[in-house]
Amino acid sequence: MYTLHYAPDNASLIVRLVLDGAGIPYRTALVNRATRQHDGAAYRALNPSGLIPTLETPQGAIAETGAILLWLTDTHKLGPAPGDHDRQAFLQWLFFLSNTAHADLRQIFYPHQYAPAEAHAGHLEIMAARMIRHFGLLDAAARQHPQLFGPARPLAAYTLALTRWAALYPVDARRWMNLAAFPVLAALAQAQEARVETPIIARAEGLGSHPFTSPEQPNPPEGAVL
Amino acid sequence: MTLTLYHIPDWASSIIRLALEEIGQPYTIAAMDRDAGDFAAPAFRAINPLGLIPALDTPDGPIFETAAILLWLNECYGGLGPRQGEPDRAAFLSWLTFVSNGPHVTSMAMIHPEYSAGDAAADEVLRLAFEKLNQQAAHLETLITTKAPAWLSTETPGALGYYLGVVLRWAIYMPHDPTLRFSLAPFPALRAVLAAHEGFPAARRVAEADGLGPTPFTAPATA
Repeated sequence: MYTLHYAPDNASLIVRLVLDGAGIPYRTALVNRATRQHDGAAYRALNPSGLIPTLETPQGAIAETGAILLWLTDTHKLGPAPGDHDRQAFLQWLFFLSNTAHADLRQIFYPHQYAPAEAHAGHLEIMAARMIRHFGLLDAAARQHPQLFGPARPLAAYTLALTRWAALYPVDARRWMNLAAFPVLAALAQAQEARVETPIIARAEGLGSHPFTSPEQPNPPEGAVL
Repeated sequence: MTLTLYHIPDWASSIIRLALEEIGQPYTIAAMDRDAGDFAAPAFRAINPLGLIPALDTPDGPIFETAAILLWLNECYGGLGPRQGEPDRAAFLSWLTFVSNGPHVTSMAMIHPEYSAGDAAADEVLRLAFEKLNQQAAHLETLITTKAPAWLSTETPGALGYYLGVVLRWAIYMPHDPTLRFSLAPFPALRAVLAAHEGFPAARRVAEADGLGPTPFTAPATA
């Protein structure tokens, strides 16, 4: 059985949406960010970068959201297999999400890691404009490849988590995300919320009643978001 | 099977050229000129809506994103790392993804530190990126010294070695502040892997074709 090392409303949410969406059994192991458990020796032995999530599998631990999603896709046939005609589209949008959309959003969440304090306001404006462009590309990709961006599928789960966080974090920053500007993604958010597993996941991580169409600050029953 | 690589020498498309040479598949080069507007041309945007290289056109259709192309080439032809069902696939995917959203992104920030927060912040953005790249290289050094993965080794050429060789090459010679250029000296195991990779025949051929110099990964030309 898999073990998903998670923290509420962290990138582990993406993996949980995919696992529960496909009915794949797994255990959860809370990583308590309040005590910086992800910096501890035990977690670093699993995942040297200390990032969340890590998925433990019978074939070893996997770090990195994108890698976990690819591994699950290939193991459980959640998307095109090698040789299938839309394998290329699947791979390219998965990595675009990982190294461009997710990476840029991370810069907005943790600006002190990327820019001096006096430049944070300008940094947010530049990065928010980039994110809006990225969401536009994802909206077009989801329109072009509806089978790849179906609710609970890896590309959809990844995209929706990013739209949710873009609306919420950092808590004290100017709001710039407007999901309605991306109609395919907005419809996808509704479809994801209509799935039976979504409220169960939302309750487990304290994500509120409309975690994707109308995100609100989380109130997790256990663990810490930051 | 015809493969066409949209390419500018010493851009990320050189990573794909290294992989193509390694697997020994014939390919053609579509030389790109950003200043001539090639990235914005509608015909290219149909290949890659992001307007970026690398992109690879194949008989099964186009594909973009460096790591996605590397994985796809490995699925089709092998020779670049473990495939699904083979030993150590999980770790290989984890570290390929790490290089894609870690060192690749960080090295780009060191080359263009003005992009994310404007000209006035560029010096500090470069310093922060320099520190981050050193942390990321330390993770890779630990990986090599503790796990000795076959897919990132001195013995066997692989996707990760070529990918890291090119993105770290940029960080070694391109940053405008000489005191904030990356050095492999604190990372001897990583340096040994990259030294081996720049000596493999595929790398020799690409270094010649793309003008990357005799030691493209460990001591790139700084002229």
